Amino acid sequence: MKALVVVAHPVRESLTHNAARAAVEGLTTAGHDVVLLDLYGEGFSAAMSPAERAAYHTDEPLIAHDAIRAAELVRSSQILVFVYPTWWSDVPAIMRAFFERVFIPTVAFELVPGATKVQPAMQHVRHIVGISIYGSPWVYVWTIRDSGRRMITRALRLCTGRKTRTTWLALYHIERADAPVRSAFLERVEASMAALS
Amino acid sequence: MNVLVVYCHPDPESFIAAARCVVVDTLKRGGHEVRVEDLYADGFQPAMSADERLTHREPGVAAELQHYADDLRWCEAIVLVYPTWWSGLPAMLKGWVDRVWARGIAWDLPAGASTVRGRLRNVRRLAIVTSHGSSRWVNWLEGQCGRFSVMRGLRVLCHPLTRTSFLAIYAMDSNGHDDRRRFLDHVERRFISW
Repeated sequence: MKALVVVAHPVRESLTHNAARAAVEGLTTAGHDVVLLDLYGEGFSAAMSPAERAAYHTDEPLIAHDAIRAAELVRSSQILVFVYPTWWSDVPAIMRAFFERVFIPTVAFELVPGATKVQPAMQHVRHIVGISIYGSPWVYVWTIRDSGRRMITRALRLCTGRKTRTTWLALYHIERADAPVRSAFLERVEASMAALS
Repeated sequence: MNVLVVYCHPDPESFIAAARCVVVDTLKRGGHEVRVEDLYADGFQPAMSADERLTHREPGVAAELQHYADDLRWCEAIVLVYPTWWSGLPAMLKGWVDRVWARGIAWDLPAGASTVRGRLRNVRRLAIVTSHGSSRWVNWLEGQCGRFSVMRGLRVLCHPLTRTSFLAIYAMDSNGHDDRRRFLDHVERRFISW
């Protein structure tokens, strides 16, 4: 299968980028064809522009080069992997921009005139994977709700087929995680992705 | 009361732009001191830079963001006016949170503590005025990310007795002029009582 790994962290040496590399290794081991999309590295535009907003409800809503390329990658992928640090219980702004600029009508869903619910357009996606690193302990994350996880495993999941599976890999309370805990997490990411079929 | 209105929409002709006008006019009529941040008009850069990330444990914000930080310390109420996209805040508004709600402004992390301590005890009211393309139950299914990340995630950094208001209109893809008019009237009634 084809896999798209989207990573959002401004620092290349961060644990988030290491987790993305581990995911790529694991998916490659499993025989998948993997593309890594580094949003910061690519200079991905971090907000929907007024021109994109104006084009949103037209027949050709994709107008910016970075979004067109990302949409092509999404359309040809069966596995979508999102790797990011959870900031303020949600994905970083640049990852939110990826959702609002790429997962738009004709790519992720179709708007049906008069309907209150959109029609899914990503039946080709078989797996959705989220990999996130949290500053807080899981109890705190659970109490204030994990918005990033909800967007990926619920809102995005509504745009895929009925049989699409979701996987969540989290490292909580990073402030207290020492080197062995961090490397165990990277091993878990790689093993879990290598087992994805 | 000092009220900070943070408005986020790329289109000045949008319904959310109309909602912003109602919020600001009503608050001013009520005698409140109002400051408006228009993130798109300001050309706000939502992505946190590598430098900011590497120094995020040090207090303060990037020099060009100082006036946003000052507004956050000045206000007694925050009103966020935005369209709900992907069940939550638009990237532009999320970037304002990522970059401006920084250490020394919105929170501190005392030695030995495992979670952050809020610093915005000046904020006693927190309100959201937002629109949703889909229906109420689809948003419930999607997890109401924007509502929870603000009313829980950010509220804990404000005064412990902070009151919250969530004013939302649903089904923008199918609702009519009357629904929208009614919503704006509802917004006006809610803010006139502030």
